[in-house]
Amino acid sequence: MMGVACSYGLRNMTTDDQLAIEFQQGSREAFRELFERYREPVYGFFRRRLENPARAEELAQECFLALLRNEARYEPRASFRSYLYGIAIHMVSAERRKSGREIELNDKTPDPATDENVDAALWVRRALDQLEKDDREILMLREYEQLSYAEIAGLLRMPVNTVRSRLFRARIALKEQLAPVQDKD
Amino acid sequence: MNRATQHAFEPEEVMAYLDGELEPRRAAALAAHLERCDECRGIAAQFRQVSERLLDFAVATRSPNFDQAVLQAAARVKDEPPDDAKAGGRWFAAFGPWAWVGAVAVIVVIGVIVFVGIPLVQPRFMTAVSHDATTPMAYLPANSLSAQAGFEQKAQGGVIGKLEAPQPSGPMIAQTASLTIVANNYDDASAALGRLTASEGGYVQKLTSNARTGESRTVSATLRVPAKQLDGFLAELRKLGRVEQESQANDEVTDQYVDLQARLKSARASEQRMLQLLQTRTGKLEDVLDAERELARIRGEIESMEGQRVLLAHRVDYATVEVQLREEYREQLGAGRSSAITQIRNAAVDGFGNLEDGVIGVLLFLLDYGLSILFWSGIVGIPAWFAWRQFRLRRTSGK
Repeated sequence: MMGVACSYGLRNMTTDDQLAIEFQQGSREAFRELFERYREPVYGFFRRRLENPARAEELAQECFLALLRNEARYEPRASFRSYLYGIAIHMVSAERRKSGREIELNDKTPDPATDENVDAALWVRRALDQLEKDDREILMLREYEQLSYAEIAGLLRMPVNTVRSRLFRARIALKEQLAPVQDKD
Repeated sequence: MNRATQHAFEPEEVMAYLDGELEPRRAAALAAHLERCDECRGIAAQFRQVSERLLDFAVATRSPNFDQAVLQAAARVKDEPPDDAKAGGRWFAAFGPWAWVGAVAVIVVIGVIVFVGIPLVQPRFMTAVSHDATTPMAYLPANSLSAQAGFEQKAQGGVIGKLEAPQPSGPMIAQTASLTIVANNYDDASAALGRLTASEGGYVQKLTSNARTGESRTVSATLRVPAKQLDGFLAELRKLGRVEQESQANDEVTDQYVDLQARLKSARASEQRMLQLLQTRTGKLEDVLDAERELARIRGEIESMEGQRVLLAHRVDYATVEVQLREEYREQLGAGRSSAITQIRNAAVDGFGNLEDGVIGVLLFLLDYGLSILFWSGIVGIPAWFAWRQFRLRRTSGK
């Protein structure tokens, strides 16, 4: 269903997890390949959650460097994708704690690249901002990061059924907000 | 998205189906249902629409030098030695003052554990277990368990109930008896001991016989007979001869048994919970090893307690009878006496032996003390001899 198109190209058919193991064994080529696969999704992850584009870029960079510095800590029992977004979630939480407040989404100016859909992007941001914090995170992890229910449950440390019910709740809430917009259209 | 109740699928399932998260069989059924149900197709379309609208939240592409900056930084990191402490410090700094508070708290807790001696592993697992409402008694002290146990305690459902041993239905008495019998016919009586015991369904635990020359023959036996047969068995024993001494004792072991039972139940519940923890929880290797050590310790306790319980139950089921069976001693004329020549020879051998012992004794005495005697004799005897000589000379000159 839906989701971000995977624009990052695949050089070969090696899976992320295989690359992660090669990377752990010291292959810088494997790291480069993983970086190429995930640079846009990871940047998008931070950009959608942080107000400041420059800070989002810094944290995306830091995320890959943290991956590199902690290569020994990766355990193949979890998927590489979960591991990477785990680091990213941790960094966003730390960033929010440091800034001392929850990032407000509704007062932000849309990116120049989306100017032609400014209204639509603004609607989405405001709609997301009205969701409960956990519901919003679950919805974003599902819709933008394309994580499975189980992966989300693992990252947010909650049961899979809770993930499913909260995702349902978030989507219903968004649908309710979508209805007036559609009517206007 | 209100739905009529006649639909076999909830909207949440439709959503999960679109996400590819529905169980295959259910997904196939839902796919077939969507073919013929307009309402459910409508719901699915609404979910798709929501997802498509969310894609409007596009983000600008990253700056052109993003890739180069990351790869250059990565190259620098590559040349750095692994420095977990540095990375940790950065994360640590991100947490601000709370990190320091947490660190101090951890140090204090570790200090308390180290200096006060609180066991580190056991309480952690005990805490985890005590939160489980299904085993509320699992970690209560044994005394409180025994107090709650009582005779009316019945096996409950669940793990604990299945593991419970049978509860006593009345007071548990361990019976013992002791008999000293002078047998009318020793041979028949000693043979009857084993036969009588077997006929009552018991067994001989220990048997020692003594048949020294010049003494009456005796048999000491420890017999175990079913407690219910004890009275009849004692009556049969009394018929073997004249009873010189008899005593009986009843030792009530109910408290002991119930307490043991409760501790056993608690330990088994702990074992089950520990197994569940090991199966369901992941953690550091050392935690797992600690848990396995704890499990081994609990199993050791269970085996020991189970052994005690069986032993205690056996003491109750089988009475212990200590029997001393003695032959009435009759001195026999001439029997066992030696001939005169043998007695003379034995006396001569004894005399020679005594002489030999005496000579050796004197020699050993002289060797041990001879030099000392000579020395002190010289010290004391020579002046005495001179004094005696002077005394005699004076007497002679006086006369």
